[in-house]
Amino acid sequence: MNTPWNRREFLKGTSAATIAALAAGVPITSFLTSCNRRKANSSADTVILLWMAGGMAHTDTFDPKRYTPFSKGMKANDVLSTFKSIPTILDGVSFSDGLQSIGNVMDRGTLIRSYVAGDMGHILHSRHQYHWHTCYKPPQSVSAPHIGSWIAKELGSVNPVIPAFINIGQRFTLGEGEELKAFHTAGFLGSEYGPFLIPDPSSGLESVKPPVGMSATRFEKRNQLYNDLISKSAAGEFGSDYQKESLRRSMEQAYMLLKSPEAAAFDLNKEPRQSYDIYNTGKFGLGCLMARRLTEQGARFISVTTEYEPFKSWDTHDNGHTRLIDMKKQIDGPVSQLIKDLERTGHLDRTLIILASEFSRDMMVEGRPDLKVKEQVNQPDIIDDIKNYGMHRHFTDGCSILMFGGGIKKGYVYGKTADERPCKTIEKPIVIDQIHQTIYHALGIEEDANYVVEKRPFYTTPDGLGKAELELFT
Amino acid sequence: MGNTKNIISGKKITIVIIIILAIWFLRMIYISFDGPSTASSVFETFWLWRFFGRLHPLVVHFPVGLLLFAAILELFTLKKFDSPLRPGINLLVAAGVISAIISVAFGFLLSRDGNYEDDLSIHQWLGIGTTCLGLVSWFLLNRILRKNRLSLVKSYRIILFFSALGVSLAGHFGASLAHGNDYLSSTLPWTDDYTPAGSVNFELASFKNDTSKLTIKQEAELNVQVRAIFAHNCYKCHGAEKVKGELRLDRKNMVFKGGENGPVIVPGNARESELFRRITLPSSHKDRMPSKGKMLSENDIAVINFWIQKGAPWPDGPDKENVFKVAALPPRNPKLPPASGNMTNPVDRWTNQYFIKNKTSWPNLVDDGTYLRRIFLDIIGLLPSPQEIDAFTKDSRPDKRSLWVRQLLNREDDYAMHWLTFWNDALRNDYTGTGYITKGRYDITDWLYKSIKSNKPYQQFVKELVSPAEGSKGFVEGIKWRGVVNASQRTEMQAAQNVSQVFLGLNLKCASCHNSFISDWKLDDAYAFANIFADSTLEINRCDKPTGKFTDARMLWKELGTIDNKATVSVKRAQLAENMIKPENGRLYRTLVNRIWAQLMGRGLIEPVDIMDNEPWSQDLLDWMAFNFQQNKSDIKELIYLITTSKTYQLPSAGFKDPNKIVSQDYKFTGMLRKRMTAEQFADAAGSVIGPLFHDSLVKYKPVMQPGYVQSSPLFARASLVVNNTFLTALGRPNRETVSTSRESQANLLQALELTNGERFNSMIKKGAEDWKKRYKHSDVIIKEIYKRALGREAQPKEFEVAKKLLGNKPETDSIQDLFWAIMLLPEFQIIY
Repeated sequence: MNTPWNRREFLKGTSAATIAALAAGVPITSFLTSCNRRKANSSADTVILLWMAGGMAHTDTFDPKRYTPFSKGMKANDVLSTFKSIPTILDGVSFSDGLQSIGNVMDRGTLIRSYVAGDMGHILHSRHQYHWHTCYKPPQSVSAPHIGSWIAKELGSVNPVIPAFINIGQRFTLGEGEELKAFHTAGFLGSEYGPFLIPDPSSGLESVKPPVGMSATRFEKRNQLYNDLISKSAAGEFGSDYQKESLRRSMEQAYMLLKSPEAAAFDLNKEPRQSYDIYNTGKFGLGCLMARRLTEQGARFISVTTEYEPFKSWDTHDNGHTRLIDMKKQIDGPVSQLIKDLERTGHLDRTLIILASEFSRDMMVEGRPDLKVKEQVNQPDIIDDIKNYGMHRHFTDGCSILMFGGGIKKGYVYGKTADERPCKTIEKPIVIDQIHQTIYHALGIEEDANYVVEKRPFYTTPDGLGKAELELFT
Repeated sequence: MGNTKNIISGKKITIVIIIILAIWFLRMIYISFDGPSTASSVFETFWLWRFFGRLHPLVVHFPVGLLLFAAILELFTLKKFDSPLRPGINLLVAAGVISAIISVAFGFLLSRDGNYEDDLSIHQWLGIGTTCLGLVSWFLLNRILRKNRLSLVKSYRIILFFSALGVSLAGHFGASLAHGNDYLSSTLPWTDDYTPAGSVNFELASFKNDTSKLTIKQEAELNVQVRAIFAHNCYKCHGAEKVKGELRLDRKNMVFKGGENGPVIVPGNARESELFRRITLPSSHKDRMPSKGKMLSENDIAVINFWIQKGAPWPDGPDKENVFKVAALPPRNPKLPPASGNMTNPVDRWTNQYFIKNKTSWPNLVDDGTYLRRIFLDIIGLLPSPQEIDAFTKDSRPDKRSLWVRQLLNREDDYAMHWLTFWNDALRNDYTGTGYITKGRYDITDWLYKSIKSNKPYQQFVKELVSPAEGSKGFVEGIKWRGVVNASQRTEMQAAQNVSQVFLGLNLKCASCHNSFISDWKLDDAYAFANIFADSTLEINRCDKPTGKFTDARMLWKELGTIDNKATVSVKRAQLAENMIKPENGRLYRTLVNRIWAQLMGRGLIEPVDIMDNEPWSQDLLDWMAFNFQQNKSDIKELIYLITTSKTYQLPSAGFKDPNKIVSQDYKFTGMLRKRMTAEQFADAAGSVIGPLFHDSLVKYKPVMQPGYVQSSPLFARASLVVNNTFLTALGRPNRETVSTSRESQANLLQALELTNGERFNSMIKKGAEDWKKRYKHSDVIIKEIYKRALGREAQPKEFEVAKKLLGNKPETDSIQDLFWAIMLLPEFQIIY
């Protein structure tokens, strides 16, 4: 005799099981049922995503091919790389010129050269970015959560006063801002798990300190006033309810964060000059610095982006070669320094760092060789002007991803692309579902983590089918 | 003490009673050991305690029988205490009390083992009380017999009768625990939950004896329950879409044929059934089913166990299609309960009936201040101004509440600006968002605003959205992203999903990719409905893979009419519109009525509001309102008037500590559920109390420019008209990429941060503080004003003292600002009570 058949429970239960979805006045997550639990063995506690927004050409960065210097009248189809290759610390692995420092830390991480982006027809960056960050192709009939929100929901904060999901460096007032908002969201998980936005790292502190112009004493007094008024308030007669409790709790949390010593992590002015200067290659570099400082204080998921703005940064529709010189300067120092700093402080072991982009670029092929899509860049066959010299079309069939720390193999190269055009993936293709599951695996989040929303399970990867690439782990 | 003859006859009676009880006892043992069980639980408590605990239900029958019988026999001795029955009674009382003590002890053990909640404590205390009473009566009886204290006879008898009563009551509650609280009452023809014996309702209590045979109807009912479990949990991999392990669980012959390894069900023997073995394995086991997602609940496992033990009945004949509950489509006009006393509003007449049934009494209605704040926020989305509060308080007309509701409904622009938020969410209309960048989306704000303002009849409203003109086409045209999208998200399918969700409270999202696992809607139904919005017949895609199949355009319910498959899109949409708004389509009106009710009352009659197949807490109230709404020109303002002037609306608000209770199966309506202000209500309230949060440049729609514009108050940009921004997003305004029909009600850290140090809010209150300092100068005035404006009341002495201590005699901008901040963050300000 084990569990008795409790008839009353049975009568109650069978009909109750049909109620599960959103309802007015009820916190959404209370309807979400899941069987999620953290696995005993995880290899990372923190994730830093270094996001190369706009499409980073693999042949001009981490997967260089034959170099053809610029000359007037050159054939476009001859150009595979617009930079010469330089050696890295790994034997037989070269990077594109300008990424020397990152090349020197590759003994701490893995280089994936075979990422294959999704097929979504006529290319729109924000759609591929949506796909990369949520693992779902837009549009979706329910609002899909960002990977950072999934992680925040499953694991919560490392340090309770530091928001679990922090997004550094992206403004939403630029072109395609609405499309970016569509995936910078916790979706059906509820806004509690949404990103804490720091559009500009140099003013990051403002997000986590008392309002501008308010002294610490006044802030303290104001909080005291609030508590006094609540305790004296006539609303006490209404008694307690969950809405009121959640209001009070959230206010308490905000107060704790704003006065906590850890908030100083957001203050880049506290960083020693020498170190600050290494990181200070612009917003992205300072974002890396903030990510490092937050990781040291206990952060869960941080995304640092080279801000996406149509036709800017990595979104090279022209002058690809010239502009990449600057882009590499922005990332090379800060990224390598971040790895070294975290290693030095002992955080690298439990911090998974990923550098990725929504897709790659090529001079000739838009989309992928066997599935070309509508071209958006007019590329002359004969190049006379240096502005046409660069990877300007959107290429989805071979992209590079870097991973460091968090249990990832050291000094390892995964996958391969062809050495001649089309420079597509020819070994070990890996797709976004696998990348996400690999991250979840490192964090100890079960492969079939899911929530029932509108009565159906919504998994971290579509249908829960994604598999972690265990080969990437030590 | 009586003669020998009497003693003998007393003994005879006692022996007979003991024999009867012994038979009863054996019977109980038989039942409790033969009962079905499941194999999936672990031993958490020591087995012997659990065993004794389980003995409680049969041990408890001793005190029931013995004490009751003692009391009955006692009745025969009323005339003569020293009757021949006396020794038997004495014995019964002694045995009854002892077994009562044992049963209390066993009951404690059982309560630790089982999952009992509410009724348990009543049962427990009654049991303990009864035992004590029994002890007292036994004690008194002993005193009478041994010391001949005949003066105690009366007390003894009274206490004995009470303990007999206690035993009966405790027994009743105990039965409720085990069988459900309608176990007894459902057999009484005059009660509401009376279930005729032959009813198809699956009444498990009737199967308590495992050897009993199920009726054919019961078998059918059990079978449907089992198939619902299969459908929810197994069809995904073992159904028409996928046939893993060569096993299909959606058709009778395939279920019994089994999978690649042979039969999975051995009728009559769950233990030997592979299916049962798999669902009861630990989650880590590789054979465990379902292999993905949630394990089956214990209840589901129990049902399947019972079904297999019963021989896995599966009645022949066509497989019954409706495994899932589907609400009735036609309208229904239940007979309104008679008006009684001051219960004249139809809503109240239904509520009154509901309250009587649930034994709830009517509490006092809310005071003027609370009521005024409610109707202002609910009807026009603004706080009442101090002048309006005074005017309302002074208004002595007996029907002033109704008059003020009418007045608010007549503030057309204020009303429209408030309800625009609700409809923008539902119709996922926004000023910015995905799609606009590549001209793949159309704004319907102008049409929507004017429709709300003019109180367009709902029938017309739906018609113009479904069969749109230029200004209202955004809803069915959907959002078109550049590039290729999943077949289940093409704009025609979006239209099918959104029309069915918003207007019919129906989830077609699953069925638009594959046959639904959560309802009976099929892929074919979804495509048939989507074809109404398509230029040419869509090829059916299953999980984004073309199938080469096509289906004609048709309604989801054939009863609602036909669609000419050959016609153009605009003709098909027009036919759809006409079919949709037919009075026969009760679902359209119920869905709308339920949505408006949820907006005003904090919780729908049905929750979630998008699943109209769920049970309402009062079917009659919902049906009556929906029917009469349709009859009454589908006038939304009149519906709001009906509800907000009812006493039901004026009940004190209900606060729940555990939000899960709000949607639990045993939810009982007691009054409006407390609501948190929406982002827009909060912004507008803060705006009217202190100053505008949004610069005019953020306003994306300007009704001010329209002829006939009247905005009574206040003169600032209402939040519903501005472009979405971080402040509104943080406070819960959705991004409107998908239909959204309810807002989050819990606060979180990101919101609190936005309000605590966000630039927008803090600079607004700073500017306000500067103005107030100049305008009011004195601390006392400032405190008085802010309490009146923000909370609609005077500051209480203690509150005044705290505020005064902060402001001092010469208020500074900083301290005024801090007072504003603290008051606006009070739960009292942010929650609608």
